Amino acid sequence: MPPRAPKRKSAPPNSLSVTSSDGSSVSSKAKTKGFVRIDRMFDSYANSSLGMIDPDGIEAFCSDLGVDCTDVRILMLAWKLKAQRQGYFTQDEWRTGLKELRVDSISKLKKALPELEKEVGKPSNYDNFYSYAFRYCLTEEMQKSVDIESICELLNLVLGAQFRPQVDLLIEYLKVQSDYKVINLDQWINFLRFCQEINFPDLENYDATQAWPLILDNFVDWMREKHSSF
Amino acid sequence: MSLPPTKRSLSNANSNATASSSSSSSPHFHPSMKKAKSQAVACSLDPNKNGLHHHHNQDDNDVVFDPSSMALDDDSKPDDARAPAAANLSRKKATPPQPAKKLVIKLVKAKPTLPTNFEEETWAKLKSAINAIFLKQPDSCDLEKLYQAVNNLCLHKMGGSLYQRIEKECEEHISAALRSLVGQSPDLVVFLSLVEKCWQDLCDQMLMIRGIALYLDRTYVKQTPNVRSLWDMGLQLFRKHLSLASEVEHKTVTGLLRMIESERLGEAVERTLLNHLLKMFTALGIYSESFEKPFLECTSEFYAAEGMKYMQQSDVPDYLKHVEMRLHEEHERCLLYLDALTRKPLIATAERQLLERHIPAILDKGFMMLMDGHRIEDLQRMYSLFSRVNALESLRQALSSYIRRTGQGIVLDEEKDKDMVPSLLEFKASLDSIWEESFSKNEAFCNTIKDAFEHLINLRQNRPAELIAKFLDEKLRAGNKGTSEEELEGTLDKVLVLFRFIQGKDVFEAFYKKDLAKRLLLGKSASIDAEKSMISKLKTECGSQFTNKLEGMFKDIELSKEINESFKQSSQARIKLPSGIEMSVHVLTTGYWPTYPPMDVRLPHELNVYQDIFKEFYLSKYSGRRLMWQNSLGHCVLKADFPKGKKELAVSLFQTVVLMLFNDAQKLSFQDIKDSTGIEDKELRRTLQSLACGKVRVLQKLPKGRDVEDDDSFVFNEGFTAPLYRLKVNAIQMKETVEENTSTTERVFQDRQYQVDAAIVRIMKTRKVLSHTLLITELFQQLKFPIKPADLKKRIESLIDREYLERDKNNPQIYNYLA
Repeated sequence: MPPRAPKRKSAPPNSLSVTSSDGSSVSSKAKTKGFVRIDRMFDSYANSSLGMIDPDGIEAFCSDLGVDCTDVRILMLAWKLKAQRQGYFTQDEWRTGLKELRVDSISKLKKALPELEKEVGKPSNYDNFYSYAFRYCLTEEMQKSVDIESICELLNLVLGAQFRPQVDLLIEYLKVQSDYKVINLDQWINFLRFCQEINFPDLENYDATQAWPLILDNFVDWMREKHSSF
Repeated sequence: MSLPPTKRSLSNANSNATASSSSSSSPHFHPSMKKAKSQAVACSLDPNKNGLHHHHNQDDNDVVFDPSSMALDDDSKPDDARAPAAANLSRKKATPPQPAKKLVIKLVKAKPTLPTNFEEETWAKLKSAINAIFLKQPDSCDLEKLYQAVNNLCLHKMGGSLYQRIEKECEEHISAALRSLVGQSPDLVVFLSLVEKCWQDLCDQMLMIRGIALYLDRTYVKQTPNVRSLWDMGLQLFRKHLSLASEVEHKTVTGLLRMIESERLGEAVERTLLNHLLKMFTALGIYSESFEKPFLECTSEFYAAEGMKYMQQSDVPDYLKHVEMRLHEEHERCLLYLDALTRKPLIATAERQLLERHIPAILDKGFMMLMDGHRIEDLQRMYSLFSRVNALESLRQALSSYIRRTGQGIVLDEEKDKDMVPSLLEFKASLDSIWEESFSKNEAFCNTIKDAFEHLINLRQNRPAELIAKFLDEKLRAGNKGTSEEELEGTLDKVLVLFRFIQGKDVFEAFYKKDLAKRLLLGKSASIDAEKSMISKLKTECGSQFTNKLEGMFKDIELSKEINESFKQSSQARIKLPSGIEMSVHVLTTGYWPTYPPMDVRLPHELNVYQDIFKEFYLSKYSGRRLMWQNSLGHCVLKADFPKGKKELAVSLFQTVVLMLFNDAQKLSFQDIKDSTGIEDKELRRTLQSLACGKVRVLQKLPKGRDVEDDDSFVFNEGFTAPLYRLKVNAIQMKETVEENTSTTERVFQDRQYQVDAAIVRIMKTRKVLSHTLLITELFQQLKFPIKPADLKKRIESLIDREYLERDKNNPQIYNYLA
């Protein structure tokens, strides 16, 4: 069956679309008082020809913040800013995001980071953040899946702290298997479910007849085989 | 002897009489005579039945019965045979009441007294008689007198002591008789006959005594609770002393068991002796305790040992025959001398020891052999014996594993692929006949056969389906001589049975279609009727969806005939066609037919022209269609002018194209040929090989050799000769079939994926929301080929990816259909 028309694809994910109208209304008012400091901050990192913060700007921003740019907190910030494109922040994203965080300087942002971590950690937000992390990696138009290499890094970043042993094994498996070259959103979301729901390392509540994606069935088989061969 | 006094006075005089005895009223006597007579006939004569008195104990008014039935009993007693006495008796009995009324007054005053030693004297007479009876001596006193004596004693209320005396007397004799058996003959048979004799004597003697003391039985015994009739007393005494003389009892039982055992071992024994002694046990009421129990134990031991021994010694069919015989014997034994009630436990014991314990061994050792040998009768015996001990389930399982094992040998052996279908057909036919004749068409067995067949035919993924298609091709292809239409029809039906078991029916269809296409296009079908009958069979089996493409193929062939006709009539054909060539075209609808890979070839001018004219004609007739020439399917007949004779060559289109090059040249290099024909390299090499290296070498290859190399060249074979005028140059097809085969299989799998996708979407479209498990279940129901759950998951995930479905946000086990 051929892939369907892209109309469905093009609809932005719900979480991102909710506040977009809000953002545009803000931009139309341009330089309201409250945004002066935020805008100044934006301008200090922005690439003026693009009108947004580009990867170089982000690197500078990270070093000012004293955080590595591959740190999960940057990903959280991107989530908070609802950044659409990897490596870039637009002015609208910047404004609404920082406003919500109620910060307008690097130092305030530094202090707000633990709070942000806590917010992301809430169950209601975590799923959203988790799938955002996947979508954040989709850089191309119509791209639906992420290559294994990036997925492994992303797993490390997002789930590594919480589910170390699972993530290590999953990454090991993803690297040895040859059935899949890319991971799609469905599989990604089920990785999280797997980590959250399945008892590790005995796996006794894993049931392959349930709706787990095949890649996880294979993963579990692989682990069991590995285990029994010891 | 004086007449007995009236009852009333008697009751006054004799106060120690039992309370219940006296109140009967005399007027009842007369009228009841007749009635009682007729009743009594039925119940007299049987010594065992002399318990009539029991009724009477219950109700005193019934005394009316007494004299009459007694009289009658007396009457008919064979031993005594004293009819006059009986007449006397009844008269005597009848008279007293009448004078009683007159005498009443007198008697009150002058009471007649009995002689003082009346009782003792009377008893002495009786005692000597009893003694004589036991000693089998004649007695001086005749029986009538004796009878009278008992009667008198009873009337004088001396029944109780009389009874005790008789009992004591009998006991002495019986005990003596039994004691005399102790230490008798060590030979058991002799001993048994002594016991029998003793028993027989006792019976006779007790009968006689009872005859004498009948009145006692009728009155005293009947009226006194807890007193046995004389007969029962005799039995009881016998039983008592038999058990006291335990050696006798033990020896008797052992003797019986030994006799039965020797009969089992094939010796002739005296069955009447057995019969009588066992009747004795029954009469004494000790049959089940003293005899049956040890007998069953003994039987159990005997058959346990025999079962073991025979199982080792003989083969299964003989063993089963033996068991059958044994069971029959035991049955007979029950009819002949054992008590009827013993039959059930006896047969059960024998069955348990001979059969039940050996079921696994029997199946292990003999089932396969019997099945392999198609031994209908032995199998039937096995079935009926097993059904006696509820072991049919084991038999069924053995059958199942037999089919699986044997079938596996047929199906899994790749070297025997050629014979797989005929072997399976034969195997199935053999099983069917065994099922019919040996297993009495047991439903469960039928299902077992089906299940086992289904299992084994699907052991190998697709090969059986393919081979069945091939087998049919063979049968339906022309040149399959020697089979009549009915035979062919029968074969088709049988094959269809196998077809039914196949899970991958699509594989069958693909291969069947491919072969059918060949038959139709090359005109090789043996009979269109047979073809059509096969199609209609498939249609009833799998529905019209399964066959409509196959039917479409037939339609195409018929339509093509018409098109060819009208082409010949058409103006285009008549005006423009080059002469000397005849062409017939099959127009095949894409989709109905197997797909053939397009093969390019540069046709010689004449053929090209011909094709173009046909195309023009066809498109003028059916505008809007597209004609594609399937070069690989074309075949031609060429007229060849060899120096040594004219020939006709039946060749493929590719062979034709190559050969026609030699109309203008004597010698051509491989490259030349390749350039001018445009045939694909591999195909060309095969074609050249068939022309220059096969059986019919119309070309010569330089240098000689099996394989066609790049710098080979080819020469027209001037010296070609052949005995026949018309020759077929076989194309070399070996490799092609392998390719064809894999591509057919691949196509089937591809099709299956689409079918799975379609089924998922179809289900989800109607259900909108469905759990994973339910979706999988429905899919298994809908899909007609074997598929693994993992493959289904793959398709589901692919559909999620393509956004036909999504996982429910709240419950990941549920899918939503995305409209």
